[in-house]
Amino acid sequence: MKQSLFSVTLDNGIVLLGEDLPGLESVAIAFHTPAGAVHDGPGRCGLATLSGEMMLRGAGDRSSREIVESLEGAGIQWSQAVSTSHASFAGAMVARQLPEALPIYADILRRPRLEADQLESARQMVLQNLAGTEDDPAHRAMSALRQLHYPAPWGMPSEGISTQVEELDLTAIRGFVAAHVRPAGTIIAIAGRIDWPDFVRRITALVGDWQAGPAPTVQAGPRGPRFRHVSHDAQQTHIALAWSAPPYRSDDSYEATAALAILGGGSSARLFTEVRERRGLCYSVSAGYQTLRDHAAAVCYSGTSAARAQETLDVMVAEIGRLPGTIQSEELDRVKARAKSGLVMQQESSAARAGAIARQWYHLGAVRTLADELARYDRLTVSTIEAWLAAHPVRDLSVVSLGREPLEVPDAVSA
Amino acid sequence: MQFRHERLPNGLDVIAEITDGALSTSVGFFVKTGARDETDALWGASHFLEHMVFKGTHDLSGDEINRRFDWMGAAANAFTSEEDTVYHAAVLPEQQHEAVSLLTRMMRPALRDEDFQTEKLVILEEIRMYDDQPPFGADDRCRAAFFAGHPLARSVLGTVDSITALPVDAMRDYHRRRYAPDNIVLAATGAVDFAALVETARRHCGDWEPQAAAPRTVPATAHPDGGRPIVESITRPGAALEYAVRMSAGPDGSDDDRYPAKLLAVILGDESGSRLYWSLVDSGEAEHASLHHHDYLDAGFFATQLSCDATDVESLLARIVACYADAARQGITAAELGQARNKLAGRVVLAGERPRRRLFGVGLEWAHTGRYRSVADDLAIVESISLDHVHHVLDRWPLDGPAATVLAGPHTGTSA
Repeated sequence: MKQSLFSVTLDNGIVLLGEDLPGLESVAIAFHTPAGAVHDGPGRCGLATLSGEMMLRGAGDRSSREIVESLEGAGIQWSQAVSTSHASFAGAMVARQLPEALPIYADILRRPRLEADQLESARQMVLQNLAGTEDDPAHRAMSALRQLHYPAPWGMPSEGISTQVEELDLTAIRGFVAAHVRPAGTIIAIAGRIDWPDFVRRITALVGDWQAGPAPTVQAGPRGPRFRHVSHDAQQTHIALAWSAPPYRSDDSYEATAALAILGGGSSARLFTEVRERRGLCYSVSAGYQTLRDHAAAVCYSGTSAARAQETLDVMVAEIGRLPGTIQSEELDRVKARAKSGLVMQQESSAARAGAIARQWYHLGAVRTLADELARYDRLTVSTIEAWLAAHPVRDLSVVSLGREPLEVPDAVSA
Repeated sequence: MQFRHERLPNGLDVIAEITDGALSTSVGFFVKTGARDETDALWGASHFLEHMVFKGTHDLSGDEINRRFDWMGAAANAFTSEEDTVYHAAVLPEQQHEAVSLLTRMMRPALRDEDFQTEKLVILEEIRMYDDQPPFGADDRCRAAFFAGHPLARSVLGTVDSITALPVDAMRDYHRRRYAPDNIVLAATGAVDFAALVETARRHCGDWEPQAAAPRTVPATAHPDGGRPIVESITRPGAALEYAVRMSAGPDGSDDDRYPAKLLAVILGDESGSRLYWSLVDSGEAEHASLHHHDYLDAGFFATQLSCDATDVESLLARIVACYADAARQGITAAELGQARNKLAGRVVLAGERPRRRLFGVGLEWAHTGRYRSVADDLAIVESISLDHVHHVLDRWPLDGPAATVLAGPHTGTSA
């Protein structure tokens, strides 16, 4: 498949990425700044999230309300999110609206007002969202799992901790934005119906002269304990498991991805077949691969009635243990087919492609072509996956149970 | 973009919206059956049957169906609503025949007793999962209160009791009556080989027997009139927030008021940039406050959803109703109308680019009205909505009028 990919790095370090998707009328753009929650700092969990919210509440000549009305008045579907690594501001729109959108986003990045009169509303909004996540048991289980699996601060909840959000002040927010919303490390990705030279000219005029101080560093802390039970009064118990996997930039990340897809990636995957289809133990069960830049995880999840949770956990662990030495070529064929159609269908969404090329640059410092990605899947064989499984036995299983009663956690995973 | 339609002699409609240069093909069976077509004894049968369709036919096991979908790289799934049961798959164009053949065979499931007993356990877990999640059943309870006496009162999933009591024979009979060719639409979008689509349908569905299904709408006298305000509550002591669902009367799926009603909901209660957003969410007083319009064949409603601290729920609900009353009294501005139109137009264009999103619009529209609307038609509708028509909707469907309201949460400090 023919692909038109573009990239250029500005003098101040900002990386511009583009993909032309013929046939689309839309364009999607995403601004990823390196102001992620990993920089929150001790006792300030939620600082990146609150800062990201404050950046939208007035920038340049526009008030909070004028920013939203300008974007929405132009029919732009906008979003803002803070992850472990980035504070991101994105929009999808009919292509002709792009010139109108760019200066608004540039103001949000470079000239956020961060005014005192917005602080309490922004804080309350972050606290409301935190309360909302308290009522989402699957989210809570996965959040607890990240804290067990990843070393601090990579495992900390990016949405914050309410007692710490209560204490944050404007000085902390202004300091955070000044230090971390910076050109070096910022990725601006655009995909869809694009005019690349015109885009580069416009965006360079808006952010080309942006300068900032030295790059901050992150101090790695300890990992959490291996097991944790979270008490939660509800009918279902939620089970979340994780163990180490190679980060995306490692040569063997495709082996890991494929092995986990065979375990729990589709409706013919082993967990779905054994836990749900064969035994009717639950409605949702899955496994997958998650990656940060320097750390990654194999993750499994299920939620089921308290009385059936122990059996569900036992069957999940047994299936993880049964994986080495039993991979079938038909299973791998199905993983390859799913990966291929997923990659091709991504080309039908400007937002999906803008996200994908930015993610790849962050992990690899380059954008892989679709042909390259497909070739990496094609090169996988049963023996390369078996070799990877043999070299990476599951030794450090982290387990979270969330429900009325704790579960009995197995000592080890064995075949 | 090209639209094609052919009806098989047994009544099965085959339709396609064909897009030149599309990279994928989406196909789906749209069965005109859902919770509203059930009786109390069959409560939850439509959704349970949707699960059973994936458990295999007389010569194809459930495992084999799952393997085949994965082997063709399909994004395949299904959903059930009050009026529809939809089975869909998105594949690369070279897999069109495989995908359509498999879906077609699945429409005649074996409904084996042992599969039925195992899947019953899965359905019961699905019911418990939703019951443990916000809004903790407030949406279903509000629907039951608002539609009391109307077929739309029934929740899609059923209850633990109704599912436990459901016999497999009743499901087999329901399937025979409702999955008749004259009650089903086969739709495709994206890169579609229409001649091949019709040929596959003829080969696999040509011998299905038509049933002439009973009419689904009910006499107007059985419609909810919203004449009596209702407030109910569900107690969840451990919940962090209080959740409120409020339903009031709105235009149905054949009423010309339905498009301005949707635009009005964007102006007053969209997730961002609306009046409720600026009043309650931007200030951090509510986690969520929104207004949506939903329409069915013979009924419609406006749904307000609110989540906030339990101590604030009554005062915030009162402010929401005051916001509606203010809109009815003062009207909306031309600037608000323009912004909402642009928002909706942007959504129509973006959704229109993906065959797997278009499939639902095209398939459901045909299943409900027997008509096709292109993306350009949808944009023209958005563009044609006038301020006068939005004001007419505010007048005819009073948002601050009688409503059913259900609260779920810890109720701390509320009188619920």
